[in-house]
Amino acid sequence: MNLDLLFKKAKEKGISDIQIYSSDRTSLSIEVFAGEVDKYEIADTKALTVKGVYNNKMGTFRTEILEDDIIDEILDTIIASAKEIDSLDDAIIYEGDEHYEKLDDLYNENLFNLDVQKKIDTILALDKYLHEYDERVTVVETMYSETNGEVLLKNSKGINLNNKANSAYIGGSVIVKDDFDQRVGFDVTISNDFNDFDIEKIGKDIVDDALASLGAKPVPSDNYEIVFSNGAIATLLSAFQGIFSADSVQKGLSLLKDKLNEVVGSDLVTIVDDPFMKKSSSSRSFDDEGVATHYKELVSNGVLKTYLHNLVTAKKDGVKSTGNGFGGSVSAVNLKLEAGKSTLEEMISSCEKGIFITNVQGAHAGVNAVSGDFSLQASGYLLEEGKKIRPVALITVAGNFLEMLKDITMVGNDSKMSYYGITSPSIKVKSMPVSGS
Amino acid sequence: MLLEQKLIEQILDSALETGADFSEVYIEDHSASVLQSVSGRLEKSNNTRSFGVGIRVAKKFQSVYGYTNSKNPEDLIKLAKDLSKSFHDETLTKRTPLMELEVGKRHLVKIKPSEVKIPEKVKLLKEAYKYASEYDEVIKQVICYLVDDEKEVLIANSEGRFVTETRVKVRLMISAVASDKGMMQTGSDGDGSGKGYEFLFDEMDIKSHAESAARIAKTMLYADDCPSGVMPVVINNAFGGVIFHEACGHSLEATSVAKNASVFCGKLGTKVASDIVTAIDDGTIENGWGSANYDDEGYPQQRRVLIENGILKSYMIDKINARRMGMEPTGSSRRQDYKFSPTSRMSNTFIDNGTSTFEEIIANTKFGLFAKKMGGGSVNPGNGDFNFSVMEGYMIRDGKIAEPVKGAALVGNGAEILHKIDMIANNLERQRGMCGSASGSIPADVGQPTVRVTEITVGGRKKGA
Repeated sequence: MNLDLLFKKAKEKGISDIQIYSSDRTSLSIEVFAGEVDKYEIADTKALTVKGVYNNKMGTFRTEILEDDIIDEILDTIIASAKEIDSLDDAIIYEGDEHYEKLDDLYNENLFNLDVQKKIDTILALDKYLHEYDERVTVVETMYSETNGEVLLKNSKGINLNNKANSAYIGGSVIVKDDFDQRVGFDVTISNDFNDFDIEKIGKDIVDDALASLGAKPVPSDNYEIVFSNGAIATLLSAFQGIFSADSVQKGLSLLKDKLNEVVGSDLVTIVDDPFMKKSSSSRSFDDEGVATHYKELVSNGVLKTYLHNLVTAKKDGVKSTGNGFGGSVSAVNLKLEAGKSTLEEMISSCEKGIFITNVQGAHAGVNAVSGDFSLQASGYLLEEGKKIRPVALITVAGNFLEMLKDITMVGNDSKMSYYGITSPSIKVKSMPVSGS
Repeated sequence: MLLEQKLIEQILDSALETGADFSEVYIEDHSASVLQSVSGRLEKSNNTRSFGVGIRVAKKFQSVYGYTNSKNPEDLIKLAKDLSKSFHDETLTKRTPLMELEVGKRHLVKIKPSEVKIPEKVKLLKEAYKYASEYDEVIKQVICYLVDDEKEVLIANSEGRFVTETRVKVRLMISAVASDKGMMQTGSDGDGSGKGYEFLFDEMDIKSHAESAARIAKTMLYADDCPSGVMPVVINNAFGGVIFHEACGHSLEATSVAKNASVFCGKLGTKVASDIVTAIDDGTIENGWGSANYDDEGYPQQRRVLIENGILKSYMIDKINARRMGMEPTGSSRRQDYKFSPTSRMSNTFIDNGTSTFEEIIANTKFGLFAKKMGGGSVNPGNGDFNFSVMEGYMIRDGKIAEPVKGAALVGNGAEILHKIDMIANNLERQRGMCGSASGSIPADVGQPTVRVTEITVGGRKKGA
């Protein structure tokens, strides 16, 4: 699309300021089933999101049709929308910051250029490794997925920024079976450096927990000490990350409302948003509004330090945007629970009567981000006198997010970035109600 | 026509040049709008126009897929040729000439979203806000969403199949937040349809849905924590059907059955549920939320009886998995949009009416949980373990609905729970949902009459039942 024409026509129609965000993305994904490539997918897509200010109100239009003859439809819809918007929020197009961090490991040319056959061979090797790992492994699916993306942000106040990134993951799922039970294992490893993909390690991460959980049964309903694995607690953090959004706080939809500078967790808890994190394809030097991103502690040794802001929420609170305006709302770039000093073994051996939870499910439905209450399906291992006794499944673990943060007694040193893009170590919580048999 | 027929034929031919036995083109032109009001004021008006072409090429069980937004003939033919490179076979499959299929178009729409001006849409949001916010003084926040969606699709394949269809969906949702003495709870409700705006203007009872969202928020605000333990659960009609959707429906999709990854593999013709259970997946319901004239492979949608009087009768099967399973496709192939290769999915799925009444079921339950309105849930198709949350729950004591309880979650196993349904009422209703799975997020109805499950694990924050 001819952007000069778009900007010129916008001005003619009375749109005072305009911003475009364009994305250009290619992707590749491959799945192997029963020793053969079962799915192979390639894609090339472009999209343009246009925001325009008319009478101090913002209209938005996203299009995948990029010919010039759609320009009138875009601008007329923006104006028609802005005319009806009666929220009291200001419409802001940003003039830009002095400095934007330079992130040079976001795009790895070698990953993009690596021969497709090499990528296929790697997951075929993973498929073979899993099949041969144990005779109880019955069904195996392995996958590779890669995306390469470039975004451009340009507005009528002079911002002109771009970002190029790529990322890939290798993973798989297995079904393991014995005479009495059937369990599922799944894991992925994410990186944009192909050298990080170690077949043996990825394979073990997929299958070990599934094999160990064969024969899992519920435990009697009671209160237990809980150790959450790094992956399990990341799932929970992901479900609750919206509570840090100032937009949710201002609308009365966050349990962190009126809690700035108050204690919201144990002093072992430090939660940060690190937009410059290495090896994360989400890392960004500017947000979707053109504001420079920066490292910040949201919770520092248990004390809530800041919410996440975009331009509109920041203006309402009389603060500066934290550079977290993404997708028309507010979100963290790379949310991270900082690692502590304990090893996983120390946490497990500290439990008199506990459960080591390795997996929680249903986080999209089983949590109430407004009240903080959650009740989630979980599986893992029963712990007695510091030892793993047997696998556990079909239980629920329930609690309140803030009460849980306050009850954290140990934080692990085993940080891992999860499938959800949240980085966390394993943690131990004093006691939580578990429902089972 | 979304693309010239000649170009479509060239794409289908190019894809077959290296020995594949099937090629398919899916084209989509899609307009959507999401309006969001907060405290009665319109805050967001997001409008989207998308266009894309998906090309699928297959040989036996192996399929490759590619998509692009480009309309440029060279780009599209290059994509088809790139995809065809996965296949190497001397024997070539010859394409059958395209022949447009007409099943007598149903699911007609009176008022298309593109014919409705934004001020008309805003009126609906204001109306919903008014009823929810005036319900009670503890209602401190109301957020409403109005979503509409209009899609032109064209599907053509190398076997001569050629269909076009316009699909419209509209939906209005209300979310209310009740707050008192530092406590907060939410409730939500809404309705949608495969009709156009005539549904929202004339048919939907906006007042009752808005008040229901507010009622749930208020009731849960003062509710005690749900006790945990194993107990009988009465799951109400309409959205209660999410239990069947999650616990059994996903495991009956060929996506998991074909790869031997479902607990229902090899169980056709055998008893998988108690005798009173009949379950149906029906993509032909007039203007249904999950209905269409054709599935996303161009086969006419069907009514599929999945389970009849406890006996497993059918899976939901797409074309490629049909080959793997040695069975016929059932018109069940669906996808979110051109960015997804299609696969077997549910449409409008429900447990059929039984012979009890709602009153009988409650009166016959001495102690248990009444899940009046369900939240969402998920299932692991590999072993059938499921979980879902209860948005509005009450204890049942001595055959009567007693105090409200909050924070309940139900966990169990799909294959087991079907045998534990011991009463089914005669009040079948369906409700709108969005179902996320392998081929993206798609509109799907869930539904059931009120049913009783003899025992299920209830997770809550309070110790002991």
